[in-house]
Amino acid sequence: MLDLLALLIVDGLADAALIFFVAVGLTLVFSVLRILNVAHGSFYSIGAYVAVSIGMWVVSAGWHPYLTFPALFLSAALVAVALGPFIERYFLRWTYGKSEALQILVTFALFLVFEDLQKLVFGVQAHYEDTPLQLLGVSDIGGIFYLNYQFLLIAMAAVTVILLRLLIRRTMIGKFIVAVVADREIAQTMGINTTRVFVIAFTVGVFLAALGGALASPTSGVAPGLGAEALVLAFAVAAIGGLGQIEGAALAAVIVGLSRAAAIHFAPDFEAVVPYLVMLVVLLIRPYGLFGTVQARRI
Amino acid sequence: MLELDTVRVNVGGFLVLRDVSFAIDAGAATVLVGRNGAGKTTTLRTLMGLLPLEGGTIRLDGRDIHRVPAHGRAALGMGYAPEDRRLIGDFNVEENLLLPAQAIGLNAAERRRRLEDVYSLLPELPGLRTRPGGSLSGGQGKMVALGRALMVGTSYVFLDEPFQGLAPALAKNYARALSRLRREKEDIGLLVTESSPQYVEEIVDHTLYIERGEVGERDTLQVE
Ligand SMILES: Nc1ncnc2c1ncn2[C@@H]1O[C@H](COP(=O)(O)OP(=O)(O)OP(=O)(O)O)[C@@H](O)[C@H]1O
Ligand SMILES: [Mg+2]
Repeated sequence: MLDLLALLIVDGLADAALIFFVAVGLTLVFSVLRILNVAHGSFYSIGAYVAVSIGMWVVSAGWHPYLTFPALFLSAALVAVALGPFIERYFLRWTYGKSEALQILVTFALFLVFEDLQKLVFGVQAHYEDTPLQLLGVSDIGGIFYLNYQFLLIAMAAVTVILLRLLIRRTMIGKFIVAVVADREIAQTMGINTTRVFVIAFTVGVFLAALGGALASPTSGVAPGLGAEALVLAFAVAAIGGLGQIEGAALAAVIVGLSRAAAIHFAPDFEAVVPYLVMLVVLLIRPYGLFGTVQARRI
Repeated sequence: MLELDTVRVNVGGFLVLRDVSFAIDAGAATVLVGRNGAGKTTTLRTLMGLLPLEGGTIRLDGRDIHRVPAHGRAALGMGYAPEDRRLIGDFNVEENLLLPAQAIGLNAAERRRRLEDVYSLLPELPGLRTRPGGSLSGGQGKMVALGRALMVGTSYVFLDEPFQGLAPALAKNYARALSRLRREKEDIGLLVTESSPQYVEEIVDHTLYIERGEVGERDTLQVE
């Protein structure tokens, strides 16, 4: 029984780690740009596709297999640099201050375009490249085998929470982000270039989503539909945590990850709906999410 | 000299500033008096580049600045204290003061120097330096907002109804701070808005009136 519990917790936390990467990016972009980016899930799947492609290339080129680890980060960075500034500049910027319906339509259109482009480039079949997972192997703890890669995911997510908090609290750009989230107009009169802050925050958001996809690819592979699934989960997690809340997204991801793991073991039919049941319950009790507030805009 | 030349500004589809022309000399203090809805806040927001011009132009020392974006105005030496303070609640007072100096790229030594300058000009502030911006009383907040404007406002400072909502004792306190500012920073041009000029009369060199988006030298309300 205890063994099962331990297994559930590791599975749940590893799942939570992946969801966290997408959700925290979504929430960051929402609080800084005030846009609910429907295309955010696409960055997750594109990150996964690019990671699988680069991973396969590293392996087939006969390079050292451990290079598949930095390749995961490289993939996310490539996606962020190639898409972040471009999408912000040409698709989002003109929608600032316009109606939310318009913004959702624009990002939904982007999502559809990305879906088709991914099918065009990578086909409709699933791709797998799990060298990083194989390399790390398994640990035998008290007779139960755990994938070491899962521990890596959990550690990565924990480090990311800390790094993001440090970025926001300790760096100059972090302070500018806090100011822009709190009061755009006053931030401008203080000399903060809000456009630059938007580009940077959006690109960081893309990077986090793509990193989630890249890190997920060795465990789940990648196939059409991954982006939509990631978006919906990320949205549920962001809403549970309170939109704009970094630690809220982390806690919400843990709750959703653990509930999903429990559902998979005890009631597999419910796995898909569990995140939304959790969301429903939380929002009924706390309409602005676990960490959210009505009054203050903060990050 | 800061000049507005036949400035027209639309807010929400209404022409709120109608061919506004006036000038503030370097180092002079002007109060812009007008009742609620006359366009005082709109005038200051326009000077800070937050609203696009429908017509006319704004010149700083002869240079046309109406294309300088809002975030570029602070670097021109223009400081702004909005009527509702709007400090960043998550930052303490000192962080609130330093933020604009960081944003315009001043080096650490210069930031420190300006901070000490503001602290000596506004002696209420050093005692508040670690207090969160969101925890201040109205009077304290106004003082911090003034300090924040002074951190970058080395040539012009715009104060939007600074006495609004202050109890008489606090208002006197604030007025004292302003006259100290006038004495010690003689080259800063000051534009203060008020609905009644009672607190600033002794401080200012010049009084302008705004009525339904039109600025003039005459108090049309009193003449009627
Ligand atoms: N967002 C807006 N949409 C439409 N009209 C606006 C908007 N903001 C301001 N106005 C109008 O512009 C005019 C000038 O407003 P402004 O805030 O500049 O006045 P004010 O002199 O600062 O008034 P107060 O003393 O109340 O602060 C008012 O008639 C107001 O109704
Ligand atoms: Mg006003």
